[in-house]
Parts: sequence; C-alpha cells; structure tokens
Amino acid sequence: MGTISIEHGDRLFWLGRYTERVFTTLKSLERVYDMTLDGNADCYKQYLSAFGLSDCGDADTFFRSYIFDKKKPGSVAHSLERAYDNGIVLREEISTEALSFLQMAMDKLEKSSESTQGLLLALLPMEDILFGFWGCISDYIYDREILTIIRCGKSVERLDLYLRLKYPWRMINLEFERLCRHLQNVPKNSPYRYNTKHLSVLAELMGMGEDYTERADEAIISVGRLFETV
Amino acid sequence: MRLCFVFLQKEFAVRQEVIILAEATAIRTPVSNAVEINELLRRYGVKFGIYKNGVFKEQLFPFDPIPRIITAEDFKSIEKGLIQRVDALNKFLFDIYHEKNIIKDNVIPEDFVYISSGYLPQCEGISPVHDIYSHISGIDLVQGKDNEWYILEDNLRIPSGASYPLIARELTRVASPSAFTENDIVDNRNYAKLLKDTMDYVNCGGINAILTPGRYNAAYFEHSYLAELTGSVLVQNDELFVEDNILYHKTYTGGKAKIGALYRRISDEYLDPLTFEPSSLIGIPNLMEAYRSGNVAIINAPGNGVADDKGIYYFVPKMIKYYLGEEPILKNAPTYLPFYDEDREYVLENLGKLVIKDVAEAGVYGVVFGSDLSEEKLEEFKNTILREPRRFIAQEVIDFLDLPILDNGEQVMRKADLRAFVLSGATTRVWASGLTRFSRNPDSFVVNSSQGGGFKDTWVLSR
Repeated sequence: MGTISIEHGDRLFWLGRYTERVFTTLKSLERVYDMTLDGNADCYKQYLSAFGLSDCGDADTFFRSYIFDKKKPGSVAHSLERAYDNGIVLREEISTEALSFLQMAMDKLEKSSESTQGLLLALLPMEDILFGFWGCISDYIYDREILTIIRCGKSVERLDLYLRLKYPWRMINLEFERLCRHLQNVPKNSPYRYNTKHLSVLAELMGMGEDYTERADEAIISVGRLFETV
Repeated sequence: MRLCFVFLQKEFAVRQEVIILAEATAIRTPVSNAVEINELLRRYGVKFGIYKNGVFKEQLFPFDPIPRIITAEDFKSIEKGLIQRVDALNKFLFDIYHEKNIIKDNVIPEDFVYISSGYLPQCEGISPVHDIYSHISGIDLVQGKDNEWYILEDNLRIPSGASYPLIARELTRVASPSAFTENDIVDNRNYAKLLKDTMDYVNCGGINAILTPGRYNAAYFEHSYLAELTGSVLVQNDELFVEDNILYHKTYTGGKAKIGALYRRISDEYLDPLTFEPSSLIGIPNLMEAYRSGNVAIINAPGNGVADDKGIYYFVPKMIKYYLGEEPILKNAPTYLPFYDEDREYVLENLGKLVIKDVAEAGVYGVVFGSDLSEEKLEEFKNTILREPRRFIAQEVIDFLDLPILDNGEQVMRKADLRAFVLSGATTRVWASGLTRFSRNPDSFVVNSSQGGGFKDTWVLSR
C-alpha cells in the first residue's frame, strides 16, 4: 500500500463518520417510527429536540424529510451523499467493491422513497447493505492505518449520536471501549492521535454509569474535540 | 396475472435479444443479461463527468452488449502494425527533442514541427527514462467496408478509456458466463498488469502515483480505478511538492514519500506553472526540474503533442520508413496536405467529397465535411485554404463498417471506432482489447460519450 495524504486521511475519517451517521440515524428513526405505531404521534419531537431542532409540523413530514431529503442536514439521504462523496475519492484505498455498496445504498434509498410498503420494511435492506459495506471494508483493506482511521471516525460518530440521543450507558460505554482500542493503533504523528485531556473527560464520565446523562453535553464536546491538537 | 404478463414480456425480449445478437455477430453464444450488466456498471460507479450549463453531472457510460469482434488473424496484423507505429513515434519524439535528423533529412518540413502547438521547446534535450516518450498510446482505428483497418488518429498525450472495457469484461463474465465458455476470447483483464509493468520499468526509485485533476474531472472513474488496480497512489497536485529536484508525496503523518513514476492525467500546459502555463492551479511547481534531473518518470512524457498533431499524422508512414526501414503495416486514411502544391490542387478540386480538419483544433472540433457545405461556403473554404494551407489537412471519407448495437431492444447499425492501447515499457505491447465507441445517432460520425454515445467490449478471438 502507498502513502496516505492529509486529504485522504480526512476523507477516510469522514467516510467512517458519515456511514455510521446513516446507520445510527436509520436505526433511531426506525425506533421512533415504531413508537408512533402505538399512538405516540409526537415522539418524533423528542428526536428533534435531542439535536436542538425545531418541530417540522407532523410525524409524516418528519420521517420523509429525515430519511429522504438530501438537502436536510442530518437526514439519511444527506449523510449517505456525504459518505459517497468521500468514498468516491478513496477507491484505491477502500476498493471498488466497498464503494459499490454505497452506490447500492443510494439506489435502495431512492427506490424506498417511492415504495408503498411499510417504511420499516422498505428500509430494512439499507441496513444489510451497510453491514455489507463494513464487512467489505474489513475484508478488503489490509492497511491497518487506513482501517484505523475509518474505524475511529465510525466510533466517534456513534458515540456522539448515542450521547445526544441519551442511549443506555451500557451501549455508550461499550462503544467508548471500542474507540479506545482503535486509538491505540493510531501512529504517533497522526492527526488522529487523541487529545489526552478530552479522552480523560470521557473516561471520567463513563465512570458515572447511567448518571452520565447529567453531564452528557460535556461528553459531546469532548468527543468533538478528541483529535484537537494539544 | 399482471406479474405473469410482465414476466412473459421480459422473457420474449430476452429471447429476441439473444437471436439478434447471434445474427449480428456470428458468434457461438452471445452476451445475455444486458440490462443486468448495465446495472452492475452503475453499481461499480462506471461513470463519466460532464459539465452542462456550468454544472457538473455524473452519468453512466452506456454499454452495448454486442461486442466488436476481432479475429485472431486480424489482431495479429493490427498488433504488428501498432507496435511498428508506436515504436516509430517514440523514435520521432526522441529525435525531435534532440538531433532533429528527420527534419535535416527533409522527411518532415520543419514548419509542421515547430508550429505545432504540441511542440514544447521546454522539453528540448530532456531524455526520458529508457528514451520512452509515449508509454501509453491510444491509437484510433476504423475498419473499412473492404475489411482494411485504417488509422484515424494517434493519441500520445493522455489517452483515456481503457478502464471501461476492462471493468465491462469483468462484469459481463459475471452476468453472462456462457458467452465466455462458448467463445474463444482472449482474456483482457491484464491491462492493469501491463500498465504497472510499464510504470515499474521507468520508475526512478519511489512509489508509483497517478496524478488526477480531481473528482470533477470527466475521467475521474478511470483515474481512481487504475490507481486501485495498479496499487498506485492517486494524488492531486496539492499533495505533491518538489524538493532538491525530487518529487514527493506529503503524507498525513507529516512525512514524505518519493515518487518514482508519475502517471499524470493532466495536460502538458498545466503540469508545472514555473515552466508552462503560469496560471495553472493544478500543476506542481518545479516538476519539470525533477523530471529533467531524471528523478521522476512522467507518463506520458511532456511534449508528446508534437507527434499526435493532425498535421504530423500525414508523416507517420514516412517516419516508419525513416526510423525502422520498414513498410507501414497499417494504413493511414488517405490524407492530403494543402501545404504541398500537388495535394492542394487535389483538395481544391475535390473539396466537396473530402473531410477537412483544422490541425489546431482537438478531437472533433474543426472537422468539416465538404459534402455538408453549400457552394458559397465551399468557395469561402477554398480561399481560407489558399490563405492558410498549413492549417488544414484533408482526408477521403472512409466508408467504414457500421456495427450493430441494441437500441431499446432493437438492433440498429451505428458508426463506431476502436481505440487500441499500446504500452511501451521493456517491450512494446498491444492490449488484446480496446475501447469501441459508437455513435448514438444514425449517420453521425461523432462517437463522443458526451454526445450520448456508448461503448462496447472488444473481443479478440484466440483462434
């Protein structure tokens, strides 16, 4: 394998972040959708408030825009496009095979938007495709540095979203431990070398167990500044 | 009921397609599942970019499942002819940037060399590694109705297109395996190896890199795909720098890696703002110094444009005789240079049946068919030729073979050319395949993808 440029390093990191954003957003929206089936029509508002966003009118509008609207930041479609934009310039690092899963995901999402089936059923294959993408990444990429950068991005994004959405502590802690394992593989001069101060803050908050929610905002800031140069 | 109808309709279309294909190509088993192949091409991102009204759009390069067939016997002769031609062109380039014997010996008038926009005085005296200038040559050919192959154009700067038949073959084998078990087709999937061998052969120590202008270049798919297949690093200019006449790639950890061979996919004039176009934002300052010092091989070498100039094309058969002492194996399309009195006389008398090309223009630009001109315009054109005879070449219109394509399930005949790829490294080798491009519109000679044209695979039969 050759060398990794600054730009490609950055894109690998964001490829990890955006693919994870697609996945976790999908999973979260599926959960919210499921809750609406029991008559809790307003539960989507909690999702919006977790991101500091204002109400968009009604549940149907919410689901359609946060899944299919390419112009809506944070939507599945928007994040998927960003993932593809990063992936397309990384073909020689991630392989044509892996890139093809992103194209398939975009095609699937477009078809799902026209589907008359239940929303969850129509979107289910998206998860399969994303699992395929990550499997492909793990299988095809032999360069440990490349894998580490993507995985750091993926883990940081998951942690960020889990914290915002107030996921159970156990799930957050497991992801945090996974991130720490990835960070151990980062070379010393890499821009993905962690900032000790922010990593310590996160470790401390994880030690609080379920009470982490009291300081979740602090944790989100530390995740965002994890690779800040000291 | 509806499902059943759709199924039957689809079945019928597929069977019809198979019959059409078999008739069209006289091969034992045609390619099936054309729709699926195009879907796979989409899945693998086989796209090209175009700008429409200033907006960048990516679109699929439509693939036609009926392959162009080249018999083993034909290919043998084409191969020999192409190797001969490219070897002569490489010798010509070396000569032009060094001794210029071909001019001194009055084989080519100097006007045609020095006035050519492809001639770069900045390349004078530079000897590329192993004296190879054109490492990857894209030679455009057409087959006449007399079955003779004619050279239309030599592309020695940055010929593109090999990746399309390469990936199409890979995917066609998946979608239509019986076409490959039932027909004796030479495997073309060695292109990346040929390319890598060429890069390695001229590498001056360091990594191989492919320089792309970026994601929004029309051929970006090809750049990234070839980088992946050859294990090269895909780079942009802002990741590169020259230090002590050595070209380096900046790494994300703050380190640097020496580049030994740079397969650049940007034009000569933008390569180095300190040597060529000063306003270039996609070049690498001092790259030419690193090249001149022999620290990096540039693939293809800068300055090659002088050899694929439309005016120089006329002289290639003469070059073959001059440098190799051989008779040309492949023919040029019959060409006239108004620069010569005798030719000018013929051109002026027969303008209405000739195709005129402005040598200063690239590709299809500046190409005029005399038959399309009114009497008044013909007279006007004759005067222009008399005023600027060096500016034009004239060619007989070749009555070339149309190829069958599938258009909405129906077989139609369209104009098509063939771009053959010749790789020059330790030896000169011809890729046993090529890019066959066809015109979408009947009677159109324009096979350009941006004009809606598509491509076919090119099957070289092994026996």
